[in-house]
Amino acid sequence: MPSDFEPITLTGSAAEDVSLLEIIDHVLNAGVVIHGSLVISVAGVDLVYVGLNVVLTSVETALRNLRASDAAEGAIQRRTDR
Amino acid sequence: MSRVLAYCGFLDDGQITLPKAGVNDAPVEVLACGDLRLLWSEIEWPFEQAGLQRNALDFHRVIHHVFQQTAVVPFRLLSVFDDLGALEVFAAENGERFVADLKRLREYVQMESVVYIIAPRMPADPESGRAYLQQKAAAIRLSAEHAAAVKEAVNAISRDVHVREVKNGSRIFVLVKRGDEDRFRKAVESVPLKEPVSRRVSGPWPAAEFLSAAVKTPQTAGQP
Repeated sequence: MPSDFEPITLTGSAAEDVSLLEIIDHVLNAGVVIHGSLVISVAGVDLVYVGLNVVLTSVETALRNLRASDAAEGAIQRRTDR
Repeated sequence: MSRVLAYCGFLDDGQITLPKAGVNDAPVEVLACGDLRLLWSEIEWPFEQAGLQRNALDFHRVIHHVFQQTAVVPFRLLSVFDDLGALEVFAAENGERFVADLKRLREYVQMESVVYIIAPRMPADPESGRAYLQQKAAAIRLSAEHAAAVKEAVNAISRDVHVREVKNGSRIFVLVKRGDEDRFRKAVESVPLKEPVSRRVSGPWPAAEFLSAAVKTPQTAGQP
């Protein structure tokens, strides 16, 4: 909710106040996705509406998945090849 | 292990300045493929959990640096390539589609308005459950009406609008001409708010929501 958003100021000539969570949401959820099957576990969470701890927990989960996937690269390749 | 982290693609007109450092202070490099330029860094993968927030901000700053000057196609933070060769193959296979989207979106930015309700609390008394549900249904209806009103209010300045339902409300993505950001904000603010509906406006962002499907989820080497 709005109170969960911590405004930050980006450096630059035209400083803009944007929420940290919105930035995290955009860098994780918006744009080109290469390993779709790995990112979906993050993208499925509506990051803008949850607290930062939950966001980091979600990312943590994604990273755990990535590490597990890296340990079994053959499995990843089969998944992304589909 | 090291991996190649791609930040964004853009069209270089010879005037674009680039950031020197990216995620974890890694040097930012440029891959040229025809008219397309891709920014990338070699990074240690996976990221350390403790530094993830900083990585996200570093990543955002690299993209934002270029986006302030021209349209970009952003990559997602957790998308990495095995090595530079894989990125080169990717660019060769997808470059034309990237260039087409960048030309189409060259003059535009993405603005957003999230319309949501502050949901009524569930009463402790179960007999009040019906009133609670009625209250919640009314709030959802108000939120939907407000989202429709916002969409109508930005109609004159929007090139395209996407609406996505999210928890307790709607997220409205609007493609506007670069320079029309304030007009967008004023248009949204012109729609009166009724409790318990609330809203938030953000932007400008790269027009990621309006990328073509082939660019959003491109074919990578080895995929059919």
